[in-house]
Amino acid sequence: MTRLAIRRLACGPWLSLAAAALLLAVLPALFASSAALNFLGFVMVIALAALGWNLLAGYGGQFSFGHAAFFGMGAYAMALLQVRLGLNPWLALPVAVALGGLTGLATGFLSFRAGLRGSYFALVTLAFAEVFRILANAMAFTGGAAGVLVPLRIGAAQFQFADKATFYWVALGFVIAAMALTRLVERSRFGAQLVAVRENEEAARALGVDTVRVKLKAITLSGAVTAAAGCLYAQKSLYLDANIAFGPWISVEALLAPIIGGLGTVFGPLAGTFLLLGLGEGTKTLLATLTGSAVPGADLVLFGALLILAVAFAPRGIMGVVAGAAARIGGAR
Amino acid sequence: MTMIDRRTILKGAAAGAALVASPAVPRAQAPAVKIGILQPVTGALAQDGEHGRLGAEIALAEINAAGGIKSMGGARLEMVFGDARSNPEAGTQEVERMQGEGVAAIVGGFASPICLAASQAAARYDIPYLVDVGVSDQIVKRGLKNTFRFGPGFGAVTSAALDNLVKINDEAGKPARTVVIVHEDGLFGSGMAKLLQAELPKRGFEILETVAHPTPSRDMANVALRIRALNPDLVIPSSYYGEFVLLARTMQQQRIRPKAIYAVLNGAASNFRFVTEFPAAAELVMDCNHWPDHRNPKTAQVRAEAQRAGKFWLYNTPLNYSSVMLLADAIERAGSADRIKIIEALNSSTFAGHIMPYGPTKFVEGQNQGAQAVNTQVQGGDIKIVFPAAFANAKPIFPAR
Repeated sequence: MTRLAIRRLACGPWLSLAAAALLLAVLPALFASSAALNFLGFVMVIALAALGWNLLAGYGGQFSFGHAAFFGMGAYAMALLQVRLGLNPWLALPVAVALGGLTGLATGFLSFRAGLRGSYFALVTLAFAEVFRILANAMAFTGGAAGVLVPLRIGAAQFQFADKATFYWVALGFVIAAMALTRLVERSRFGAQLVAVRENEEAARALGVDTVRVKLKAITLSGAVTAAAGCLYAQKSLYLDANIAFGPWISVEALLAPIIGGLGTVFGPLAGTFLLLGLGEGTKTLLATLTGSAVPGADLVLFGALLILAVAFAPRGIMGVVAGAAARIGGAR
Repeated sequence: MTMIDRRTILKGAAAGAALVASPAVPRAQAPAVKIGILQPVTGALAQDGEHGRLGAEIALAEINAAGGIKSMGGARLEMVFGDARSNPEAGTQEVERMQGEGVAAIVGGFASPICLAASQAAARYDIPYLVDVGVSDQIVKRGLKNTFRFGPGFGAVTSAALDNLVKINDEAGKPARTVVIVHEDGLFGSGMAKLLQAELPKRGFEILETVAHPTPSRDMANVALRIRALNPDLVIPSSYYGEFVLLARTMQQQRIRPKAIYAVLNGAASNFRFVTEFPAAAELVMDCNHWPDHRNPKTAQVRAEAQRAGKFWLYNTPLNYSSVMLLADAIERAGSADRIKIIEALNSSTFAGHIMPYGPTKFVEGQNQGAQAVNTQVQGGDIKIVFPAAFANAKPIFPAR
């Protein structure tokens, strides 16, 4: 093998990431309407949450139904540090992300040490998220059921951008960073151990992998990445209540996107989010222009049908289809 | 090739002249003014959203049938509808879409979280945002110049509810003293419960217990049994539609009859669906809520329109009808679809052509000062206003037994 080929092999995984970043960065030039930019910003927030989920579930095989706990922790920390303690959002951000990681570590410690796996782990994470939701709904510090409003102060120093494209680029930066982190994990010793745990935990342990430690590392990282998504959400909508931050909707979005996009892949969560939310928004816009939204919910029916088709014809997710197509082209050559 | 004779040229000239002259016919030419109507028509709040949308549609149809906005050459109002899908994020996305479509103003939102998020999104583009229902007091306390609320806020409704309760009780010779509060554990129910717990003892009532329940709840038997055991004079429920209907039916089946069920901003007690579907459970339930002015002949017309559309009569319809009429009046006075001019016109609005018992509108920092809730009671299968006396069309039946 020539030196060039070796270098290409090493660079390939990073090159595709850089290419994707470049492609996504020019999207605002193609879709300049504020509705499209707002939508793209939201896609980035959900993709980031999905990337966090994918680290734990896609690579580590630990399916969580409660990533809302981390998302909400990040979102609430971001908002409350600003509103209650007067912290600048750029300073609140690392604190909120760290708190998300810590929440991950704590929930992981409690459930992995108890040996919870599979559906039991999933149920416990669901319960954790619900506990957080109820606490946030009841405590005066979080604003109770009335929620928290981050005051509208547009300015880059306040992490609020006059231009929606700017928010999109900032969020895209987070997403690319999370994808790079995923790539790093994938290619590291820790990543190999994580995949070993996913494939067969007993075998991994027999080979000397400290499985609890590996899983704890993964859930901490996962919690931090998903908390970052919560931070972005807080700055985007500037309003949180317990159902938005800790509600089951975000747990579902965070797990659906990677499953549709391709579990345990770097691009899967992003591709899945684009498909999932794009279909939803696309059907809504289509039916709104065709019928003037005369039939409420018709778009959701169409969305559901398309989703069923997507999953039926791409059981390994979008990345599975891409890999299959690439193999076919390669085979034909 | 035929020769063009003088007569043909004359005819052509006449037709051309007619074509040039036609802009004088105003309705055919004035460009339509787009109005964003934002309602949650799918998801948990779909019932409210559908009825809110209906009110807006009735108002828009009426305005257009009467010749549109006259100061703008009879410009028609065109609805740009957005489904908020019962969550704030979808509401925000719809505001962005409406901005893309170039709406002059937005009306609606229904739930407080949707109103909070959507009005803030609209504020970025100076789109006037008229809240239809959302009672959270935060909505008009953020200093947003674009946000207006036609209806009353939470604080105004609850203090009216407490004052009215004391008056009704005093007039009947103070038969009620003990209270059980039943509330849903979200923004509206728990806020209400907290306020009642603080205020009721000051007014001579004793709170026996406060029972919280989540939304949705599928069974209210335990709550009903607890009420039976405590045997209070008053039950004050703050719940959404499904849960309150369930509670009222369970209480009826178990023959639990307090001296009154006195609801505040209840999702069902001022809803003809409840009254029609469960008349026995609904009979004599009192509510302090939004309700249109029955003395206004327009109210009957709007109600007839709603019934023609096959819908029940809920407060969402008259509130949205009134809000759209108020906005149309502001556009009429602004004489333009310019957003800033409409905001200015709303600020100076003294509109009285609505069908709520508020009197002429007067906005102070976005809140309509005359907005007030009234006390209703289900009597003989109808929803009557029993308080305040100025609007009443029936006397309160209290105590109920």
